[in-house]
Amino acid sequence: MATNGHTDPVLSLRNIVKRFGGLTAVKDVDLDVSGGEVVGLVGDNGAGKSTLIKCISGVYHPEEGQIIFQGKAAHFPRPIDARDAGIETIYQDLALAGNLNVGANIFLGREVRKSSLGGLIKTLNNKYMTNEAKKVVESLDIHLPNYEQQINNLSGGQRQSVAIARAVYWDAKMMIMDEPTNNLGVPEQRKVLEIIRTLRERRVPVILISHTLPDVFEVADRIVIMHRGRKVADKRVAETNSQEVVQYMVGALDDFPETRSA
Amino acid sequence: MKKLGLLAFVIILILSVSVVPAFSQDDDTIVIGFLPGVVDPFYQLMEIGVNQAIADSGLNIELVVQIPESFSPTTQTPLLDAMVARGDLDYLIVAATDKEQMVAPLQLAHDAGVEIISVDTFIGDGDYVNGPITFPLSYIGSDNAEGGRIAARALAANVGEEGKVYVQNVNPGISTTDQREEGFREGIAEFPNMEIVGVDYNEDNENLSVQQTAAVLEREADLVGIFGTNVFSANGAGIAVGNAGLSGAIDVIAFDATSFAAEQMRAGVVSMMIAQKPFDMGYLAVEMALAHNAGVTSVPKRIPTGYAVITMDNIDDPAIARFIYEVGE
Amino acid sequence: MSVNVNQGGEKSRYRQLILTLSRVWAWVFLAILIVFFTTSVNFSTDGSVNFLTVRTSQNILIAITPVLLMGLGQTFVIISAGIDLSVGWVMGLSSVVTALAARDLAAGGTEPYLAIFIGMVLGVVVAAIFGVINGVIIAKLKVPPFIVTLGMSFIARGTALLVGGGMTIGGLPPEFRNVGNEALFYLVSGGEKAGLYFLSAPELSRESLRSLDRIFSWPVVITTIFVAMAMFLLHRTRFGRHTLAIGGNAEASLRAGIPVDRHTILLYTMSAATAGIAGALHTARFSGGDARAGDPLLLGSIAAVIIGGVSLFGGSGTIIGTVIGALIIAVLQTGLVMLSVDPFWQFVVVGVVVILAVLIDQSRDLIIGRGDA
Repeated sequence: MATNGHTDPVLSLRNIVKRFGGLTAVKDVDLDVSGGEVVGLVGDNGAGKSTLIKCISGVYHPEEGQIIFQGKAAHFPRPIDARDAGIETIYQDLALAGNLNVGANIFLGREVRKSSLGGLIKTLNNKYMTNEAKKVVESLDIHLPNYEQQINNLSGGQRQSVAIARAVYWDAKMMIMDEPTNNLGVPEQRKVLEIIRTLRERRVPVILISHTLPDVFEVADRIVIMHRGRKVADKRVAETNSQEVVQYMVGALDDFPETRSA
Repeated sequence: MKKLGLLAFVIILILSVSVVPAFSQDDDTIVIGFLPGVVDPFYQLMEIGVNQAIADSGLNIELVVQIPESFSPTTQTPLLDAMVARGDLDYLIVAATDKEQMVAPLQLAHDAGVEIISVDTFIGDGDYVNGPITFPLSYIGSDNAEGGRIAARALAANVGEEGKVYVQNVNPGISTTDQREEGFREGIAEFPNMEIVGVDYNEDNENLSVQQTAAVLEREADLVGIFGTNVFSANGAGIAVGNAGLSGAIDVIAFDATSFAAEQMRAGVVSMMIAQKPFDMGYLAVEMALAHNAGVTSVPKRIPTGYAVITMDNIDDPAIARFIYEVGE
Repeated sequence: MSVNVNQGGEKSRYRQLILTLSRVWAWVFLAILIVFFTTSVNFSTDGSVNFLTVRTSQNILIAITPVLLMGLGQTFVIISAGIDLSVGWVMGLSSVVTALAARDLAAGGTEPYLAIFIGMVLGVVVAAIFGVINGVIIAKLKVPPFIVTLGMSFIARGTALLVGGGMTIGGLPPEFRNVGNEALFYLVSGGEKAGLYFLSAPELSRESLRSLDRIFSWPVVITTIFVAMAMFLLHRTRFGRHTLAIGGNAEASLRAGIPVDRHTILLYTMSAATAGIAGALHTARFSGGDARAGDPLLLGSIAAVIIGGVSLFGGSGTIIGTVIGALIIAVLQTGLVMLSVDPFWQFVVVGVVVILAVLIDQSRDLIIGRGDA
């Protein structure tokens, strides 16, 4: 379970600035994420975490700074462009069609078809899609009772894992998870954390946004703390503790005071 | 905003001042307004009658025509008001789109000095002598109940005065079609061996008319005739009869004689048409206006225009064929 | 992971039962209606009239053709969580355009059946243009479908009345009547000419006219083809899958790379086009172009879609459901007329069934839950 900080980072952010009118939501943020690394992104409400990841996933466009993804400067005009590049953002319930089954969701927008009526027309290959879905879901050590059922009939954690399985299936180069354990029961929270570990084993880097510090400490390799739009700490998990993290979160500690320009 | 309103007001004022004199004609010009119910061949034929009477009179007459886009007081009233607002109208030939709701607007027109002549439809109860409404000069039109009776008698004569008949009506609550149905009932009652087995309402939709008639054809194996209270009702009924393979075996009577109905008759879908005389209505309305203008004080308050019964036997007779509501394009 | 689902097998079985019932109730209801009318019509006429006949079934099939065609496009639109209120007058517009084009072409010397065909195609194309406009305004300008299609309904109405001069367009080539009223098969029951005839009816004497049944008239055949195509499209193709996905979660569909805007435009175009086909067939059946042909059918077609189990919130529904919905309404109307029930009751009964359908849909959602609600 190497957390290899020496390889080239998969994602590098340099001096990212995002303003909304007169308000600077993200101020000069640098961040590197390497293969197989789980980075916990924490901070109070309004600290700029969500704005930052939306800059990465193409929802927002930073005014200043650079995003370097897989060694190349990246610009994502739309969320779909970030996805096409391999950056998957997993929002709770936002990305699944609850009225479709597991296979349909995993292949949503990229349905596999077969020739029908003697090649006249292409029809959905549901059997193939369900089989593939089953394979990828089970590879994450998740067990779903029924693959034909609508996603609506699954529990919150099961749906979360389908979303993750979809990202895995489509060979995500990097995953951003926004509060993946919110509203989940305890056993399901454990399961999601387990999946994150599985992803690390597969060397898929993960940015994990969470309010639940114990979760972050449990799975993350590094922890990045934001306060009022700035990165105030970037520490290896082994080198810190939750008490210290809270100090950073409330602004009592600051590792990068030089970015606090007027 | 106030300034804008003032500007608009001034512009309107200037326009009206500059336009109004254009309308004021010599004193011997008679201005007649024609306001039918809606755009359709019936009223177009009526307009031809109006024009014919004006041409025949040889007098100096200006005709003003406005046609509502749908048969409703809501669309007719603004047109009426606009015509009255000209200020030079002497007579208004109008097919009121509602017998109650059009009373007040027409009363206002009358108060403004316009003589009202009802054509096709009436206001109040249609009795301009003893009824609640007496201000219009005359009501010239056919009696729908009488039309229903004529349909019943024509049908009876065709089927040997016996058998079951059925009525396809539009919607309850429409005065004309209700009266046609009522007259038809009275007419059938004159024949002891005839019976009306039912009435259905098709919402003026041929598809529903077909469906209802088809079901009745199943229910009543010995049906001999169907009365459609308007062209669509009759056409739908006729299609159902045709689909059941019973063309010719069951008579279908259409109230009104549009060119479309005539076409359906030639195709064997409809067997008989009860034609009103809109040309007569238009022509007589102008005649009455001119008579009144000339000082005649005994203009009849009610002029029934009667009906023509059109069948395949007489449709090619020019004397009858001219009652089909056909207007050149 | 399966903790939640496995707890309480009782509850799960109960849910499954409700789910199954809510899925098949329309079939059961239709079957009950047919049995009810068969026995009651038989009883009320002392056995002289039969509801369950070839002829009645054909009458019902013909009656549902326009409602069903409109309902096909509407099913797709409502599944995508939209609605199309313009199809009534769009159908009327198509009817008028079809009639005018066929009339003028035939008068100009074009071979009648070619003139009819071109006229019908033109009617459908004009209708489809209205659908494209609906779709573009809804997808690109983000105006709610209810408002756009309501407005478009008035525009189509005005256009239809303007184009047709507010009158029934007659003077069509007589062959038009054949397209609308002739049939695939003719069945003569009884008499010396008894038998099944293909494409044309035998000459019959006046007395034996009643023994002739037209089976699968052309509008029924054409509608059946479109029903089959719609079923295939919705349940077997990517287009159908995307329609369901957009209705289930438009945001997720967009994130998944589905071209939601383009798809929406296609859906409204399709809806208008099927209404256009209904209009062209109306002209054929009644040999007249009628601007008002579709307006009275609009609410019935939406009712059919809803009775058929399409959720107004989008995301679920089937084509066969819409067929069953249309059949239920037509069987009710025909059956009640055959029972000589006061016509006003027909509306009441249809209304009750529509509300019942929505109630069943909602109770299903309450019991099994919709999304994470």
